[in-house]
Amino acid sequence: MINIDIVATAIAVLTLFGIYSLMAISLNLEYGVAGVPNFGKALFVSIGAYTAGITYTRLLPLLSGFEVIHPCGPTMGGALQLRSEIMATQPVAGFINLGLTMLIAAVIAGAVGFALSYVTLRLKEEWFLALVLLVGGETVRIVVRGADDFICSHNGISSVAQPFYFLDDPRTSSLLFMLLALALALLAYLYSERLIRSPFGRMLKGLRENEDVTRGLGKGISLARAQIMLIGSAIAAVGGALFALNTGFVNTNDFVVTLTLDVWVMVVLGGIGNNRGALLGALLIALMDRFTQVGAIALNMSGSDVEFNYVRFIAFGIILIWMLRYRSAGLLPESRLTTGAHDVVRRVLEK
Amino acid sequence: MPEDPARPLLELKSIRKDFGGLRAVDDVSLDVPKGAIVGLIGPNGSGKSTLINLIARATNLSAGQVLFNGENISDLASDEVFRRGIARGYQEPALYFKMTVLDNVLLPVKDQRGEQPWYAPWRRYWQGDEAAHAQTAVDVLAQVQLLQHYDTLASDLSGGQMKLLEIARCLMGRPELLLLDEPTAGVAPKLAYEIFQQIARLRDDHGITLLIVEHRLEILFDFADYVYVMHLGNLLAQGKVDDIASDATVREVYFGD
Repeated sequence: MINIDIVATAIAVLTLFGIYSLMAISLNLEYGVAGVPNFGKALFVSIGAYTAGITYTRLLPLLSGFEVIHPCGPTMGGALQLRSEIMATQPVAGFINLGLTMLIAAVIAGAVGFALSYVTLRLKEEWFLALVLLVGGETVRIVVRGADDFICSHNGISSVAQPFYFLDDPRTSSLLFMLLALALALLAYLYSERLIRSPFGRMLKGLRENEDVTRGLGKGISLARAQIMLIGSAIAAVGGALFALNTGFVNTNDFVVTLTLDVWVMVVLGGIGNNRGALLGALLIALMDRFTQVGAIALNMSGSDVEFNYVRFIAFGIILIWMLRYRSAGLLPESRLTTGAHDVVRRVLEK
Repeated sequence: MPEDPARPLLELKSIRKDFGGLRAVDDVSLDVPKGAIVGLIGPNGSGKSTLINLIARATNLSAGQVLFNGENISDLASDEVFRRGIARGYQEPALYFKMTVLDNVLLPVKDQRGEQPWYAPWRRYWQGDEAAHAQTAVDVLAQVQLLQHYDTLASDLSGGQMKLLEIARCLMGRPELLLLDEPTAGVAPKLAYEIFQQIARLRDDHGITLLIVEHRLEILFDFADYVYVMHLGNLLAQGKVDDIASDATVREVYFGD
């Protein structure tokens, strides 16, 4: 059997939890609260990852006063070495690059999410958007996979590094990166909680419950849905950038439809419309991710022919069907939220 | 543009609606004067609900024009029609059943600052407005006797209360014209009469004009000023309540005698 490093495993799981939380919270805002079935989550996550792939190879050298080395093909080794050198010796450039990466990723993904949904939602109902996003995600992935200059086509780009790379102790740097991921997840959680407990959140829930009536009550529903897609997509892209930093490389294979379905499992499992449910779902999936990976390695080393990795897909399928059948509200059902208006009325009645 | 006091609030000019081969509304023209309670009656399938949907722009017109305050609203979307001052109720109560009574009535308030996503997370930008809207909601809910239920989920209300909540929800949008599609459907007779008393107060206290589709003629005739009768998509008759009640054609279509 293999030895398991408990601390390293915990750090890995919690880092993954932070990253998954960003994705789950974004889908919860879109689908759980506003009822927009975003089946293109992988697209928006991948925009974040691709952005990181590009900024870490093109922007980072410029920020630290070096010439850009083309990261694909024969110069790949040089580019990788340059990145390691910069990340190890110029932490400030690394942090500036990280901030810019997240900003650029959020802006691009937000713009794409807004534009796609605003146009399609004005044409047809929300399930049409779901298909557009599903197909769009795959199309973008295939195009990026074929484009040589982008992230080195199907080879992917491996010059991405997390910002605490400059520390000598790898455990400390991964611990700090974990804290960064958790802090961003916490920010997204607090932000979306506030968003839901507002008149905007009330309107989105109205949209989810009855689109025609909400429109008949004077609300511009296409715009509201496009706005929540903008916010959700920006959060997902930040998650995608972290995802790339965490794995250390960007490859189109990571952004297939399976990723979208993983995020859906998180939200459906945790509780549709409940941010804490989204966090719980993200934690459970992060744990299961690790468990199946460790399990696969353990089985493999013991000489078994069983491909344990696929257990994950079977388990997810079973969870999804079981939840929808027996507990469609999720582990943590949506709670009643208020804007504070109920307190005003209660005080009036108490007088 | 100076407002012509004689001009009707709502004017339908030869409107038509086809569903495939079926002509649901055929060349209907009618006026709703400001401050009036106008009844729209007719047997099932005569096109009354379709007419309401056409005015509220929930469906597209096949031909004709809808004028509101003299403005052609035929090409507006339903959200714009609401913002112009036309609110509507539904035949089956179309409430937000998973929301509280209070949230149901607060949602339609126009131009809420907290509905802008950029302001929404920062409570201090909108909580003053929200408290003011809540105060308005207190008055509106008290008027329809739902104030004590402000924290109840809409799904837990009785049928009559749902109808009243729907009216209250319309009021929060400060409409000039209220379209009601069978406000007493599925409601006990005594409560049905009370609902109409409330409706009359909307006109008397708030100056709201009403166009009401109703099957309970005995109640409607107590409150309406003017009645239009539809039959098979056409306007069959129109007139003051007494004239319509004694009109032979109407009686034949409606009661079969």
